Amino acid sequence: MEPIRKEEIDDQACGSLAPKSKPCPRPKPGEAAGGCSFDGAQITLLPIMDAAHLVHGPVACAGNSWESRGSLSSGPSLSQYGFATDLSNNDIIFGGEKKLKDSIDYIAGRFAPPAIFVYATCVTALIGEDMDAVCKEASDRLGIPVVPVNSPGFVGSKNLGNRLAGDALLQYVIGTGEPELEASMGVNLIGEYNIAGEMWDIEKLMNQAGITLLSRITGDARYKEITWAHRAKANMVVCSRALLGLAKQMESKYGIPYFEGSFYGAKETTYSLRQMAYLLNDREMERRVDRLTEREENRLSHDLRPYRKILKGKKAVLYTGGVKSWSVISALKELGIQVVGVGTNKSSDEDVQRIADRVSDDTEYIPEGGASRIIKTVRERKADIMIAGGRNMYVAMKEQIPFVDINQERHKAYAGYEGLLRLAKELVDSIANPIWKLASSPAPWDKEDSYDR
Amino acid sequence: MTVKKRSKPVSVNPLKIGQSLGGILAMQGCYRAMPVVHGSQGCSAFPKALLTRHFREPIAVQTSALQEMDVIFDANRNLEEALNAVLSKHRPDIIGIIGTELSDVAGVDYQSMLKSYKRERNMRGGLAFSVTLPDFRGSLESGFSVTVEAMVDELIQQAGLRGQRNVNSRQITLLPGSYLTPGDVMELKEIVSSFGFEVIALPDISTSLSGHLLTGFSPLTRGGVPLDSMLQSLQSGLTIAFGASMERPARRLHNALGTPYKVFQGTMGLKASDELLNFLHQISGVPVPIRYCWQRENLLDCMLDAHFQFAGVSAVAALEPDHLRSVSEWLDELGVEQKALITSYETPAVAEMERDVWVGDLDDAEVLGSGADLWIGSSHGIAGAERIGAAFLAAGFPIWNELGSYMNVSVGYRGAMEWTNKAGNLLMRREAEHRESSVRHR
Repeated sequence: MEPIRKEEIDDQACGSLAPKSKPCPRPKPGEAAGGCSFDGAQITLLPIMDAAHLVHGPVACAGNSWESRGSLSSGPSLSQYGFATDLSNNDIIFGGEKKLKDSIDYIAGRFAPPAIFVYATCVTALIGEDMDAVCKEASDRLGIPVVPVNSPGFVGSKNLGNRLAGDALLQYVIGTGEPELEASMGVNLIGEYNIAGEMWDIEKLMNQAGITLLSRITGDARYKEITWAHRAKANMVVCSRALLGLAKQMESKYGIPYFEGSFYGAKETTYSLRQMAYLLNDREMERRVDRLTEREENRLSHDLRPYRKILKGKKAVLYTGGVKSWSVISALKELGIQVVGVGTNKSSDEDVQRIADRVSDDTEYIPEGGASRIIKTVRERKADIMIAGGRNMYVAMKEQIPFVDINQERHKAYAGYEGLLRLAKELVDSIANPIWKLASSPAPWDKEDSYDR
Repeated sequence: MTVKKRSKPVSVNPLKIGQSLGGILAMQGCYRAMPVVHGSQGCSAFPKALLTRHFREPIAVQTSALQEMDVIFDANRNLEEALNAVLSKHRPDIIGIIGTELSDVAGVDYQSMLKSYKRERNMRGGLAFSVTLPDFRGSLESGFSVTVEAMVDELIQQAGLRGQRNVNSRQITLLPGSYLTPGDVMELKEIVSSFGFEVIALPDISTSLSGHLLTGFSPLTRGGVPLDSMLQSLQSGLTIAFGASMERPARRLHNALGTPYKVFQGTMGLKASDELLNFLHQISGVPVPIRYCWQRENLLDCMLDAHFQFAGVSAVAALEPDHLRSVSEWLDELGVEQKALITSYETPAVAEMERDVWVGDLDDAEVLGSGADLWIGSSHGIAGAERIGAAFLAAGFPIWNELGSYMNVSVGYRGAMEWTNKAGNLLMRREAEHRESSVRHR
């Protein structure tokens, strides 16, 4: 098997502690498309399902964004509520701290959440609200954690917001609690957000292998479980760009080893499970994992046979946002799909290296956003399908290009062995759909040859 | 009668949608246009995602991508950079700069910046204007109408024809409010033109967001009213505005050009449709086309059939002000008890309604509407409707749980009939479900 993690760690990547030469790139006016840091912070923290998430600012930051993410919950749904301090003109002139305090009290009194996350926005940061102090005071008075998240939109990109949310977890949450059960064999999953329920497929596999999932950071998480994340024996970073820094800091602060892995594709899934068992340093567990992965891989390759037949030799253009391109490439390769173009705008240098290891030499790299660029690649390379995020979905539809959604808004889970099967089915259903033929043929009266009379 | 507000320090499940989103929406109804949001990246990314989800279409919008230091030192440098990029790359016909709460609080003067930019670049032939749409005032509706107003102002300036114009009395300018779907706008255009008028809708989302198969990707808007039609609309003999919020742009046209205008505050139900068709009949002298006479009978028959379903039923509606007023009038005609009417902000139009209206959020809708049978509002209300056990009727913005909702028609007799049947069916299904569950649990 090819090694996934190179020994030298690129500490200048965006997700690292101290970005030196290459920080998160500055968004370009007039050419930028992605979300802001506030968006990024919410993506990371909203999957903590039982907590209340209060946005301190004018209403639209919350109003335009609540209920827009596909993180599923197995129980509590308080994080689906949209809370906003809804600042008015006067609040901005005279300060919104009083309103923030009242809002926190109101939420604590009515919903009794285990914790409240309070998000700064551009406006509250600009007028200099002392959110940390309000949160600390409320926290002391109410006896529940009130966590300030200082990630207003204008500090930078979405990725930076992910990182700042990780910092908030590290500073205020991780290490403040102790696990209920013995955690000697526990693993944390970092940067897995349970989009479309992917976490549940992963959890099932881990359970089958006897690996304890200690803390979910943060897909379908409960606040409490994150407080004891520092007791884990290993960390797995699922989305590297976002929370690698968190894993690095946990390594230096608590001595928890980490690895970067993925659950897209059978190979990567097997590798990730093996790596967990290896880091937990348990021979018996390693054997169990081997048996499990072998059985699952065999079953999968049997189930995949009919799909592989159709997908073999098909060409795809891949343009992911949050999901790591390289791991999806592995998954597609297993299905016999050739990736002829791949987006790299959100990949760290390390990720780009991993992509290069997995694609052929003539694959086109698409360094920056812009739907026209993606479509050009699809056309030039004669790709059969476009795999990208929801933002580009309707662009593809207009161009009548088969499309599979891979980002946070998607409705299907593609992780693990089951997930690869689902992905294969989705790809086949999309490519083989009758609509492509129907849409591309003209109306009868527009056809060139006229009726023979 | 009165506008009330529950006292609560925090907004729980907001109904309000940022004004800038309304501005972006208005721009989508213009051909080859590009709104540039003057704020941080999220100020354009969130509306873009939300609009895409609702309309299932690509949405044209760009950002000046403000960052901390830009706000402190010189935010307009970003805007200039954004304008340069957009102009040189895409050559839009229309540019609308949308100022956000961020540029507003920071006190950025982009109006005068735009002025000097236009002077320096000698920008002619295109339309460029700016609006300030901070989120701490108004909502989607006001953002939309303020943007249309600014657009109209700029058109008048551009044409420079104060007082001297060739009035075309057979041409009517439509100003459709923000709550009307592309399907609604299409229907209105059809109704008005069936009386022999030429119609120019401003903006016209019916040709941009209704779903069409244009190929050849462009980051600009791919449909909507073209600039030359917009300029031509200044010659119209009459302006018809739908929704009270559109009165101000109509008044602009009146003040500058003397174009008379008529505002229809309600657009839903029998009475509103009667009023519209009778008005068109009066001003055109053309008899009401036979298909509308048929539709009127169809609607009355449908209301007769449905009245068993609606008798004794109560509803809660959470919508933007103009939309709320329109829906409330329709509910009146059906004899539905209106348990609670919630809107995003206070406007004169809702203040003069004969019912109590609450300015609030979807949590207020849940509390005040507790016990209601029918919930009318955006997809954000699904969870709340479920909690109070009401049937959920998707309306307003955003709707993401239904296909084709952007093509729903609520105006005219046909629209009223569609809504009446849809709501009746929902209530019927709910009744059946309740019956089943009562059997099961005996």
